[in-house]
Amino acid sequence: MPQVRIIAKNFMDMVAALPAMKLDILYENPFICEAILRSLPPLAKKYVTQMLFSEGSITAKLLEEWVLPDGSTKHRVSIDRLVQLRIFTESVESGRKKEKSYRLNPTFQANLQKRITTGGVLPREPMPPSLTGRLPSLEELEKYALEQWECFLLHLINSGQAEKVTSFSPSMMRVFQRGLLSQSKDPKLTESGFQFLLMETNAQLWYIIREYISNSEERGVDPVDLISFLLELSFHMTGKAYNLNTLTDVQRSTLSDLADLGLVKLQKGRNDSWFIPTKLATNLSVSLADSSTRKQGSIVVETNFRVYEYSASKLHSEILRLFSRVEYHLPNLIVAAITKENLYGAFENGITADQIVSFLQQNAHPRVAQRTPSVPENVTDQIRLWETDLNRVEMSPAHLYDDFHSREVFEAACDLAREWSGLLWEDSDKMRVVVKAEIHQNMRDFIRGQRQ
Amino acid sequence: MSHHGGYGDKGRPPKKYKAAAAKDDDDDGYYGNEAGGRGDDDYGDGEKEVKKRDFTKLELKPDHINRPLWACADGRIFLETFSPLYKQAYDFLIAIAEPVCRPESMHEYNLTPHSLYAAVSVGLETETIIAVLNKLSKTKLPKEMIDFIHESTANYGKVKLVLKKNKYFIESPFPEVLKKLLKDEVIGRARIQSENEHGHDGFTKSKTAGEIGGSHDGLLNEAELAAAAEDKETHSFQIDPSQVENVKQRCLPNALNYPMLEEYDFRNDPVNPDINMELKPHAQPRPYQEKSLSKMFGNGRARSGIIVLPCGAGKSLVGVSAASRIRKSCLCLATNAVSVDQWHFQFRLWSTIPDEQICRFTSDSKERLQGNAGVVVTTYNMVAFGGKRSEESEKIIEEIRNREWGLLLMDEVHVVPAHMFRKVISLTKSHCKLGLTATLVREDERITDLNFLIGPKLYEANWLDLVKGGFIANVQCAEVWCPMTKEFFAEYLRRENSKRKQALYVMNPNKFRACEFLIRFHEQQRGDKIIVFADNLFALVEYAMKLRKPMIYGATSHAERTKILQAFKTSKDVNTIFLSKVGDNSIDIPEANVIIQISSHAGSRRQEAQRLGRILRAKGKLEDRMAGGKEEYNAFFYSLVSTDTQEMYYSTKRQQFLIDQGYSFKVITSLPPPDSGAELSYHSQDEQLALLRKVLTAKDDMVGLEQLEEDADDIALHKARRFAGSMSHMSGANGMVYMEYSTGRKLPPGSKPKPKDPNKRHNLFRKRYG
Repeated sequence: MPQVRIIAKNFMDMVAALPAMKLDILYENPFICEAILRSLPPLAKKYVTQMLFSEGSITAKLLEEWVLPDGSTKHRVSIDRLVQLRIFTESVESGRKKEKSYRLNPTFQANLQKRITTGGVLPREPMPPSLTGRLPSLEELEKYALEQWECFLLHLINSGQAEKVTSFSPSMMRVFQRGLLSQSKDPKLTESGFQFLLMETNAQLWYIIREYISNSEERGVDPVDLISFLLELSFHMTGKAYNLNTLTDVQRSTLSDLADLGLVKLQKGRNDSWFIPTKLATNLSVSLADSSTRKQGSIVVETNFRVYEYSASKLHSEILRLFSRVEYHLPNLIVAAITKENLYGAFENGITADQIVSFLQQNAHPRVAQRTPSVPENVTDQIRLWETDLNRVEMSPAHLYDDFHSREVFEAACDLAREWSGLLWEDSDKMRVVVKAEIHQNMRDFIRGQRQ
Repeated sequence: MSHHGGYGDKGRPPKKYKAAAAKDDDDDGYYGNEAGGRGDDDYGDGEKEVKKRDFTKLELKPDHINRPLWACADGRIFLETFSPLYKQAYDFLIAIAEPVCRPESMHEYNLTPHSLYAAVSVGLETETIIAVLNKLSKTKLPKEMIDFIHESTANYGKVKLVLKKNKYFIESPFPEVLKKLLKDEVIGRARIQSENEHGHDGFTKSKTAGEIGGSHDGLLNEAELAAAAEDKETHSFQIDPSQVENVKQRCLPNALNYPMLEEYDFRNDPVNPDINMELKPHAQPRPYQEKSLSKMFGNGRARSGIIVLPCGAGKSLVGVSAASRIRKSCLCLATNAVSVDQWHFQFRLWSTIPDEQICRFTSDSKERLQGNAGVVVTTYNMVAFGGKRSEESEKIIEEIRNREWGLLLMDEVHVVPAHMFRKVISLTKSHCKLGLTATLVREDERITDLNFLIGPKLYEANWLDLVKGGFIANVQCAEVWCPMTKEFFAEYLRRENSKRKQALYVMNPNKFRACEFLIRFHEQQRGDKIIVFADNLFALVEYAMKLRKPMIYGATSHAERTKILQAFKTSKDVNTIFLSKVGDNSIDIPEANVIIQISSHAGSRRQEAQRLGRILRAKGKLEDRMAGGKEEYNAFFYSLVSTDTQEMYYSTKRQQFLIDQGYSFKVITSLPPPDSGAELSYHSQDEQLALLRKVLTAKDDMVGLEQLEEDADDIALHKARRFAGSMSHMSGANGMVYMEYSTGRKLPPGSKPKPKDPNKRHNLFRKRYG
């Protein structure tokens, strides 16, 4: 199975990879057009809005003149992206000049125009409070979302620490775990798995969603439906209740999976059932590059290699355990110590010193985050030194010869090896010699020749 | 004046200290294992799964953010240093718990029976401890901890031994405890019935002043505070002075388990004459010095106990202040003659003590105390020595034994073995004992002994706070990794070289070069004063000779030492000295600000801290030293280790204490830098091989550790003399290396160059040229 690379840069990468036909279908949904617009790099957004109400095409040359010379890289990236997403269609004039020009995808353009002129209409109307009663507050909802997400992650890394069961089928779980855990009897986190755990929640979420979408066909769900539903979901309002009966069957079954991930909360009233989108869902269409809503760090590392994390999360404790010894669990604090043994364990699992260091730095508690460096230098140095210490021994193949017929042959063989500068070791008392693998053939030929 | 050595007369091989030697060997074992022996299993190496301590069920208080600490059922306490309540919480915790580590943001403490004993003895009561702890804790206090505090403090601090108007009293606020004690045969017999008995149990009732200057004011509500300040009614009975030691014995934890606190009501002691001494106006104790004194004199009496301050933080001022407050005769004990001189100097520097009322008693200077009260500075050995003394010494020691001392001031209490303490304490009669130390490495047997022989720990300063306050130097610690050269490593691995392993890794040419590089750098670029420490005598001599620097080791005479130290202090040309472990303690070298350690005593955390202490005295302007100032780091501590050898392992162990105090060791991997070093010694392989031959052909007894015992060099001196013979042929000068080299350099132009290698010069001429 190919190693899955953990770059969940953007949901839109996934959209961009869809076949042209499917993309055109997607653009029939105005919400998706807006979501796509949001996800674009700033310069690309500018081009789209600039061209939104102009008919016809614009030459590449003209477009280039819009940017200052030092913006040319950004310009190229933006154009590439737009072409990739089929928002721009490229055409080459048949004339002598063979000039390239771009125009907006008509479906996309029409829908976006509509969306912008008629204003933000919600995909569906929230239910009135009279039907739902008291709904969870935003804080409660956020707490719920994080709990769900964490519980899912604990399942994902097989920690056995999870308190709730997940409704994902074991096969779906295996799909998620592919690439994150080693494929052995006792699955361990791989390097990518560790990277994954160290990513931000949004990035992690994208990774999972991506796996979820690419697996959809096997579950008999059209990925386009799924993508458009997910994007649509991001236009719902956080904390409002939406009636389940406005959804298709596929969407309803998808929702129960999403509830497991903490994207929505499902509730049942006397007559109706509804879902409440959480922040995780409404953030879906936000491009990751823009997500400045970094969660605050919680880790303090001291010069004596002790690690204090302000957290009660079992997941955090599991992550710390990957490279340190967790010693105390307090109601809102985890106390651990980075030790050589634990680090060696981490290195063995393919986790690198740099990953550990950057994890500690990225999650530095605000108290120490302003300080430079946020993780004491002696600790980061030591982690790296321990890593390089492990890499000092290099294995290279070699061959041992013994049982020589005579001292003459032995000595001649040693001389030969020396000549080829392949002699690694010799013991003249016992007449044994070790040579580099490269000259094995020559040695063998030589010794055979001597024998005859 | 014959010998410098502190104890007894002449260098008689001391049978007495055989026992001491054996004890020290045990200690080696202890330090070797200490990784595993720290507290319980916290710092243990190896992958043994630490029992996880899950205290998540503790209930967080709603306003937990405003409270600074977590307390766990197993006695561990975590303290946030950035809490607004940090200062108060720190003062409180240091009084009731043992610090485990105190880096920048989060401190850890352990609640132990000893620490609670100390808490009780500085006047904290069980309920106060629990109330304040609860107030500071983010969670509800675990029941186990409350029980533990009750249990541990049930007996401690309930009984005091008070010397009042020269009569010994056993005093307690709890008459039932006194009754219990009296049931004991020894104590019952020791009681002296007083005439003015009243009350049916015959105890004398009186009032004692409550605790003043309590530092936990802000943490207690007014009612609690009032209770603390209120006079306490106490009950007491008198005992026979000759039975005091026996009574104390009976009260120890292994018997009745009511260990007695000793307090001296010096203001009400008309029998012992006062000394007319007070602190000079320029002696301004710093806040932490004040604090430690306030713990000692908290209730108007003088408590016995130990004060822990880092080296260079002004322990002597605390000692002199205590003596000046009590103003009674004071016996000050130091570890060696050099340090006796230093104490003598400190007393006159800080206090107004008349010259005739302070004297030194060492084998070199046997001064008699004039008048009826005064300060005597001497060494532990001089007092404890059991052999024959000269007539003069005998007289002085008789005086010391017969005098009633107001204060027994003991320096460097951590280095003196328990049996010597016992002896000193039983030989001298003192009302109050104050022990001073920089490194109370916790929970080993000695500390237990100290707790009961001297008293509980009264105060321990936080190193980092002192650094931040600019009171001690901010030291940049570095561990320099020196790869073994191929040839040295090959020999190191051979089994037949097991005895010279140490010599091999210390003499590793790469280490030598790193050392030389650092010396050059600090001497030339920064104009620093450098101490190089080597425990391995062979290495000490080789390094010092090769680099032409003066050295001091066990066999260097007192006069010689003084001369070398003086030159180091005053001469611009002497900027580096080599010290064996005689320099670990008490030699005061305030000028030094760089330490390079090329070999050390296995895994001794204490030695590491002591050595660092040599450069902790803050230098330069205060504002420069503060964080962000011009010279944030003004002192440097380098530990040179040969990679892939035992040293690496020891090094980690050694640093633990300092790391726990918040110091960090930066690892430096390439010294000298790759593009330099051609000008340093042992650059060519031939030179390196010649050095290797020298190491391999040296006699076995020369390549080992210097055989100093106890780190108290007075004792050690006599042992070390055995080596003088063999060392002399190597140095060619019986420890006179300094004489030969330090003056021979920098001849003014035109003057005659030195004719030849001074080593070869005849003895008769040596003095003339030297």
